Amino acid sequence: MGSLLIDNVTKSFGETDILKGINIDIQDGEFLILVGPSGCGKSTLMNIIAGLEEATSGTLELAGKDVTLASPKDRDIAMVFQSYALYPTMNVARNISFGLEMRKVPKEERDRIVNDVAKLLQIDHLLDRKPSQLSGGQRQRVAMGRALARSPRVFLFDEPLSNLDAKLRVEMRTEIKKLHKRLGTTIVYVTHDQIEAMTLADRIAVMKDGIVQQLGTPDEIYNNPANMFVAGFMGSPPMNFIEVDIKQGHAVVESAGETHHLKLPCADAIAAKGLDRVVLGIRPEMITEPKPAPEDQDWLHSMKLDFDVVEPMGADTMAIGQWNGIDVHSRLSPKAGMTAGTGTEVQVNTAKAVAFDIQTGERIC
Amino acid sequence: MVANRSFNLGRLFIYGCLFAFALFYLAPLYVMLTTSFKDIEEIRSGNLLALPQDPTLYAWIKAWSSACTGSECQGLAPFFMNSVKIVVPAVIISTVIGALNGYVLSKWRFRGSDLMFGMLLFGCFIPFQVILLPMARLLAELGLANTVTGLVLVHVIYGVAFTTLFFRNFYVSVPTELVKAAQLDGASFFQIFRHIFLPVSLPIFTVTIIWQFTQIWNDFLFGVVYSGPGTQPITVALNNLVNTSMGGKEYNVDMAAAVIAALPTLLVYIFAGKYFVRGLTAGAVKG
Repeated sequence: MGSLLIDNVTKSFGETDILKGINIDIQDGEFLILVGPSGCGKSTLMNIIAGLEEATSGTLELAGKDVTLASPKDRDIAMVFQSYALYPTMNVARNISFGLEMRKVPKEERDRIVNDVAKLLQIDHLLDRKPSQLSGGQRQRVAMGRALARSPRVFLFDEPLSNLDAKLRVEMRTEIKKLHKRLGTTIVYVTHDQIEAMTLADRIAVMKDGIVQQLGTPDEIYNNPANMFVAGFMGSPPMNFIEVDIKQGHAVVESAGETHHLKLPCADAIAAKGLDRVVLGIRPEMITEPKPAPEDQDWLHSMKLDFDVVEPMGADTMAIGQWNGIDVHSRLSPKAGMTAGTGTEVQVNTAKAVAFDIQTGERIC
Repeated sequence: MVANRSFNLGRLFIYGCLFAFALFYLAPLYVMLTTSFKDIEEIRSGNLLALPQDPTLYAWIKAWSSACTGSECQGLAPFFMNSVKIVVPAVIISTVIGALNGYVLSKWRFRGSDLMFGMLLFGCFIPFQVILLPMARLLAELGLANTVTGLVLVHVIYGVAFTTLFFRNFYVSVPTELVKAAQLDGASFFQIFRHIFLPVSLPIFTVTIIWQFTQIWNDFLFGVVYSGPGTQPITVALNNLVNTSMGGKEYNVDMAAAVIAALPTLLVYIFAGKYFVRGLTAGAVKG
């Protein structure tokens, strides 16, 4: 059992509030990802979960037991650090078994566990090496091995992949996902890479300024963002934000010198608030070359768009034009053969378009 | 070709200068050594720079075992032992305290730890002379006046400022995440020190031990002020030996005594010197 309940946890350093009341209920076996820009408090929260820092107020329950004041070694939590933090003078085997040694596990059992873990992570041929003799990816595996060896209730990963090159990062990401499937241990994982967050998480907690902005499944976070911050943080390129006038429940958009009235799924909510100007949020993949989309038939609009820049990316082509004088990203199929130029015919799908309050940035609908 | 020639000339000049300086600095040592192997007749009649014509160990034996230091005539041997008895515990204790201080001040910060480090640092800049009287009072109160233990205490107190500085600055470069990882692995305060920090500390231990050994062995002021007749360190005895004149001045014995007094620090530096230099620069480039 490795459920974790973070109940109203705050942390202040003097006058500065780093965490302003965090509430997260993590289920046993869940893969929870904390994302947010640097300085949002995610690493502090991680340290508090690990017991390396003390919360100013609030409680922390691990498997139903209050561990708010327990020391790190009594929490049964293992952590993988961004810098790996391998012990430089110990070889790989001892790095992995050090935690067991400190917990007075007998030698034979330690050796057995080290061998099992090393096989699992395919580092059994490296056991005699020192960390300085390993590549980045191998160090990463050893760091994970060290965490695995103790079979803890909860794993903490603190930006574990950010020191790897792009190719290795994708490989290790898959490996971590497989590992989680296989072990079923609760994982709390900090990252600022939203692709990692989307691909790995059961649930994502998006943090900013010491507050959880939204906690939900990757699908909820992506398609139903709670506010402009979450919407802008997730997705690459991020969601387009355009300030628009509302006329009879339609967003007024000017593109390539023509005015269009886009039908919005949430016209009623905007009307209920009596707003006549909102921030329209629309994902780049909703602006495409003309193509059939039968289920969203009612929400399709065709219009002309002047593309200033076209960026072929292989699988997709990103093209940037302007609505109401603001840059708008669109994601096109490379087959459409788009080039920079004026008056390109595009299709806009507003089925999943959202609207935000101009003042607060909160989602209207 | 021209460039090559001027390069060679430049090299020649540099090596010439280095050689001249080396000669200049080694000259006193040369005179000391040659003089110590001459007999007194040869010193009176001969050239200061000449090699001994009839080398003798007379002066060395006398300096070691029978030269007079004041009213006693036992040579330097007992005082050499006094110095060893002062230096060994003082070096060990001050180094161990410094290592633990440095570990705490770099990795286990607490409220006011920076202030404490600042104040310890201040200790490096207090001149010996300033603390002579208060320290004498303290030693008297503790009943340690004129004892080896008292001298050890003085040197430990004075040395801790330096040893703490050395270790603290060395341990600052050890990643703090190692401490966090070890804490999660269940290691205690001392286990982390023992398993993570000690194994990487060889360079800084070498630096600290050489530094402390040299400082304490060469100390004269504390030695002369806080020692009694039976506890004087070798530096004080050397001074007494040279200043005690019975009959003619025996320069050969003085020289032999001076070399004996300087020998331990000289040897330590010759054998561990490269580690010293390596240790001093260890923080600069990660190995």
